[in-house]
Amino acid sequence: MAPLLEVRDVSFRYPQALILDKISFNINPGEIFCLLGPNGCGKTTLLDCILGWLKPYAGQVLINGSPIDNMAAPQIARQVAYVPQMHQKTFPYLVRDIVLMGRASFIGPFDVPSEEDVAIAEKALDMVGVSRLKDRPYTQLSGGEGQLVMVARALAQNSPLIIMDEPTAHLDYRHELIILETVVELVKQTGLAVLMATHVPNHGYYFENQGIKTRAALVKDKQIMALGKPSEVLSEQNLGELYSIRTRIINCGLDDGGHLKQVVPICTINSES
Amino acid sequence: MLFIAAPFLVILVSLLIGRYPVDIATVINILGCRITMQPCYIEDIYQTVVWDIRLPRAILGAMVGGCLAISGAAFQGLFRNPLVSSGILGVSSGAGFGAALAIILFHKVAAIYTCAFAFGIFAVILSYFISKVYNGTPTIMLVLGGVIVSSVFSALLSLAKYLADPMNELPAIVFWLMGSLASARYSDIMIAGIPMLVGVGGIILIRWRINVLSMGDREAHSLGINTTLNKGIVIACATLATAGAVCVSGIIGWVGLVIPHIGRMLVGNDNRVLIPVSFSLGATFLVIVDDFGRILTGSEIPLGILTAILGGPFFVYLLKKTKGGGW
Repeated sequence: MAPLLEVRDVSFRYPQALILDKISFNINPGEIFCLLGPNGCGKTTLLDCILGWLKPYAGQVLINGSPIDNMAAPQIARQVAYVPQMHQKTFPYLVRDIVLMGRASFIGPFDVPSEEDVAIAEKALDMVGVSRLKDRPYTQLSGGEGQLVMVARALAQNSPLIIMDEPTAHLDYRHELIILETVVELVKQTGLAVLMATHVPNHGYYFENQGIKTRAALVKDKQIMALGKPSEVLSEQNLGELYSIRTRIINCGLDDGGHLKQVVPICTINSES
Repeated sequence: MLFIAAPFLVILVSLLIGRYPVDIATVINILGCRITMQPCYIEDIYQTVVWDIRLPRAILGAMVGGCLAISGAAFQGLFRNPLVSSGILGVSSGAGFGAALAIILFHKVAAIYTCAFAFGIFAVILSYFISKVYNGTPTIMLVLGGVIVSSVFSALLSLAKYLADPMNELPAIVFWLMGSLASARYSDIMIAGIPMLVGVGGIILIRWRINVLSMGDREAHSLGINTTLNKGIVIACATLATAGAVCVSGIIGWVGLVIPHIGRMLVGNDNRVLIPVSFSLGATFLVIVDDFGRILTGSEIPLGILTAILGGPFFVYLLKKTKGGGW
């Protein structure tokens, strides 16, 4: 059977510069795939290619075996939902109206959402635990609440894959954890696949520690430098090479007998190049 | 309910108002027999005043006000910018130049309508293609295209004024630009009504999509809508409605910018509700303003002047009362 998402030799370039050079990987249902790499390495560009917003100049993105070149926007949206990194807020829509927008690919251009769409949106709000916010203008929410609403909107799309672009950027410790816990819950309950661009290697370890099938891809110099389980890929050596920093991986036992693996940054190193 | 009834109510009231006194019983009588096609036993002068002068004027006023407001609301959503009005893509300046050109060259009312309408549409098409120079009509490029086209047509309008005969053509241009419904006839409603109804109908049908478009192109795409196509539909509809309105009424500012905000304060920002409510508010507002224009002084005050003078204080009052509604 074809994988849920297959990125096959995708290369992308702007007129002046090559951004991505033959990127390939697969994502399967129930899996969290973390995309790591320094600022400007092309993570967001890669996500845009997968969403069909940008067109790779070579290679293909396939969803359930069919290339997205042949798919219209609603067809892609039913397979891939998107949680943006920075959502620029304009009008003070109510939270429930925002989440309802996740249903757009199921609603005709000259139609309005049905009762069923409203019910699906409410269920999505419920699943991320923010039903209490549904009648608030979303412009008044805190960063963490706003991000949860965006996750709910993606859920309302009922797609098997959700793409998140640095979903925990700008969030405090607690809200970062709330987002991560929500993602874990969703993947466990629904068998969703999540593709997450992140700057925090510990997110990879976190998901792995939670017993979810997790893989991490490290993007450097337009290519995937390493791909595999976090405990194998997010090594001191790889992270040192990726970010030019010195790190230490620590293992410790938890009070409940569990086991925790985390990476701690120590200092920057001057790369020889 | 109130929003559906309001325009009809003010149209009815405006039949009673004016220089020539007509009481309500007579008005209802005339409406009754005219609509049911029965012979009328009321003096002709009353019939003419109510049926042939005041009614078409009120209906046209309602349609123009509604069109300007609904296009303004649609453009604000589309451009994700609350400061945008129905003229953002140059339709008003294009129409203004078209009208001035027709006044100078043809001296005929029908030519003014046609020219204003055609140049209004032409201006928007120009803005659209200017933005196309850059890949795929991004919003900011559309706005920039609109600004450029507007300023070019404003300059051309000034040129037309400069060249116009100052004894009769120039005053005609100036009066046209200030906006008026004084010449309203049923034939105007029939002709200009077609683009207005098509535009308004289209915007009302696509109104929920405007919510999604206001998330920005990239997000709207990821939510599953074809942004280029949907933006094109909204722009085409709003342009038809505005051009249809402007060509019969002249330039009436303010309605297309501020009426949608009054709607936002009253019913919130969801375009499913806001779009139809904007139409109703715009229609009601313009009919009322036109009534004031007719009765305030001996001669008529042009609409474009009164909309802002009457509307400004009302807007401030609402702002204070609703605390702005979540901005």
